[in-house]
Amino acid sequence: MFVKKFTLVAITAGMLAGGTVRAQDAGALLDLLVRKHLITDQEAEEVRADLTKEAATTSAGKWKLSTPITELELYGDTRMRYEIRTGEVGPPNTLDANGDNTQRNRARYRLRLGLRGVLMDDWFFGLRLETSSNPRSTNVTFGADSNNGPFAKNDDGINVGQAYLGYKGIKEVTLTAGRMANPFVTTSMIWDPDINPEGLAEQWKHTFKISLGGGESSAGSVASMSKDGKTVASAGTASEPRSITIDLFANFAQFVYDDENPENSIGPAPSGVPRTDAYMLGWQIGAKVNFTKTVYLQLAPTMYNYTGNGDTFNKHFSGDPDFLDPVNGRTSRNQTGINSLLVFDMPGEFGWTVGELPMRIFGDLAVNLDGDKRAAAAGHPDKGDNRYAYQIGLGLGKLKVKHDWQMDVFWQHVDQYAVDPNLVDSDLYDSRVNMEGIAVRLGYAVTDAITANLTYGYGWQIDDDLGTGGTGDAFTINPLDKYQIFQADLSVKF
Amino acid sequence: MKLKTIAILLGLTAITTQAHADRLVIKGSDTLGAKLVPQLAEQFKAQHPDTTFDIAAEGSTTGISAIIDGTAQIGMSSRRAKPAEVAAASSKGVNLKPIIVAYDGIAVIVNSANPIKSLTKKQVEQIFAGDVTDWSALGGSAGKISVYTRNTSSGTYSDFKELAMKKRDYAGSSQKMAGNEQIASEVGKNPNGVGYVGLAYTNASGVKTMPIDGALPSVQSVHAKTYPYARPTFYYTNGEPNGLAKEFLDFTIGKPGQKIASQVGFVPLP
Repeated sequence: MFVKKFTLVAITAGMLAGGTVRAQDAGALLDLLVRKHLITDQEAEEVRADLTKEAATTSAGKWKLSTPITELELYGDTRMRYEIRTGEVGPPNTLDANGDNTQRNRARYRLRLGLRGVLMDDWFFGLRLETSSNPRSTNVTFGADSNNGPFAKNDDGINVGQAYLGYKGIKEVTLTAGRMANPFVTTSMIWDPDINPEGLAEQWKHTFKISLGGGESSAGSVASMSKDGKTVASAGTASEPRSITIDLFANFAQFVYDDENPENSIGPAPSGVPRTDAYMLGWQIGAKVNFTKTVYLQLAPTMYNYTGNGDTFNKHFSGDPDFLDPVNGRTSRNQTGINSLLVFDMPGEFGWTVGELPMRIFGDLAVNLDGDKRAAAAGHPDKGDNRYAYQIGLGLGKLKVKHDWQMDVFWQHVDQYAVDPNLVDSDLYDSRVNMEGIAVRLGYAVTDAITANLTYGYGWQIDDDLGTGGTGDAFTINPLDKYQIFQADLSVKF
Repeated sequence: MKLKTIAILLGLTAITTQAHADRLVIKGSDTLGAKLVPQLAEQFKAQHPDTTFDIAAEGSTTGISAIIDGTAQIGMSSRRAKPAEVAAASSKGVNLKPIIVAYDGIAVIVNSANPIKSLTKKQVEQIFAGDVTDWSALGGSAGKISVYTRNTSSGTYSDFKELAMKKRDYAGSSQKMAGNEQIASEVGKNPNGVGYVGLAYTNASGVKTMPIDGALPSVQSVHAKTYPYARPTFYYTNGEPNGLAKEFLDFTIGKPGQKIASQVGFVPLP
């Protein structure tokens, strides 16, 4: 009796002292004590009720979630960055002095704060707030706004980075609508990782397991000898059955790339180009073959196409530098047009381990099947071959827990008419195409949540007859040649 | 004269209070409120003829809400109060006290013509979550599985999700019924039907109870906690029960009440 009472008092006191310990967390322990007849079911219920009540009055317990929400996760990250970029003016720029160089040093921060939740009946949703309205960056530069004096907050905005709703009620299928994380398996050669496209996505994934036999215990079949020469039984190590698992996946998306406003304006109907929204369509079918737990190969062939017109990006892409117009003076050429882009892309990765060290070869290969038309429209019909892009790299290590490290080295080459310049990574190489070069990234996990990263990239113009197309992130010079970037980051993930 | 008036008023007040105290409002679980509690009330009334009962069995959620709102003295529930309900109660100064009154095994029932003889826990999860939609996938005759569940205000609805479905959602095609009797009735009429009911409802015509991982719901398997879908059933009160509510509670968990619980198919307290 004394033991029973003592047990009950100890459990209740101990768990209540835990503050936010929830009643359900104690369920297994209480069930065990009931099964051991140390306490009765009724006593267990009273402890549960006390714990639930206690939890409900703590800070965490006071958060109220609406009934349809069955799971909610708060997550995010913040990052401090110091960055140096340099570049030179290359040919065929005739308005700026070739070889003249430029430099930009800046200290920056970013914050991303998200909520993602699961709703009843297989629905889910997500919301993420981000600093900066730039689609290819969430960074805010320190001291860049001084309209209201030093330390002004003009550019320290909170923007909706992600807002989506989805459904997982169909086996192995995920349907998402809204502004979402990129649903495609991809690389920064095609998509800047900060971009959250808007529209619809349909994803499917199925895992096949192919058994290769084996898996029998070795006990009895392999004997070992003891020091005195007598035969002793082996340790009986049983090997697992050998098998290959194949994750087959398909990702499809219809993104609203550019809204036409209005489709039909007041007054006579316009002639010529129909007024419709522009869509980016993507089709990806891929597989990840896991030969063992550590050796895998992933390939994800993808097609990207564009339809409709929109009212911003429906001009013919040029990519060339500014020119001197006799009437208007210095005049810009188009750097953002999405005409004649039918891009086949194939990201891939092969991974293995050496001892405990994860290693991987990764890469990406893309070709614009309409590259000749895009070149012709840019006024360079002889440059139709400038339609290829590729990336090849080696990765060592992986940042997962405290004291992990990672190093990635890769080479990247992106022709002028190969890919959509509005989507490529804004860091390497300053959101430009017609550039190639090398990049190195070093990472170290200071703690499980804090990582330090150093990045260095060096790139240059590929075809000296063409500009380096794209709007540019830090620099406006075109062509951008002998571009260097150095970034030092300290990030906290929560 | 004044004293006489006051005496009359006091007398009337006493009579009114007495009349109010003899009325017991009980709301909540259909599992408890459809059979067990009405029979308990009937027997209790035989010993307390002045008592009147007001019983509403519309789901465990309504029972716990009634205690929080103060519209019932006893809330019947086939599940534990959720943290949100406990928090709501606390904010109103209500102390939700659970009292186990009997045990129940949630029985999985199929039509008696169904050739399937038993199910595993995994199969039950697959059936009710909609992963398996045809009996042939479970070794039965071909036929699209018709899943019957309770409605969302039912404690059995959420208990079954927790006990049998790893908290997954029910199949989109599942049909939600108001009570155990309706589920038993529908499954009894539909050769492809499957549903779950409290132990008290397994004797309905046209249905049979499936052993789960070899265990049938019974007094022994529920007491020993070997039947996977066993659960306690509760009365909830605001703090320690008193007055008529305590009398009825004592009657329920006493020998006469537990005998009735056993007779209507519940598992009595050990």
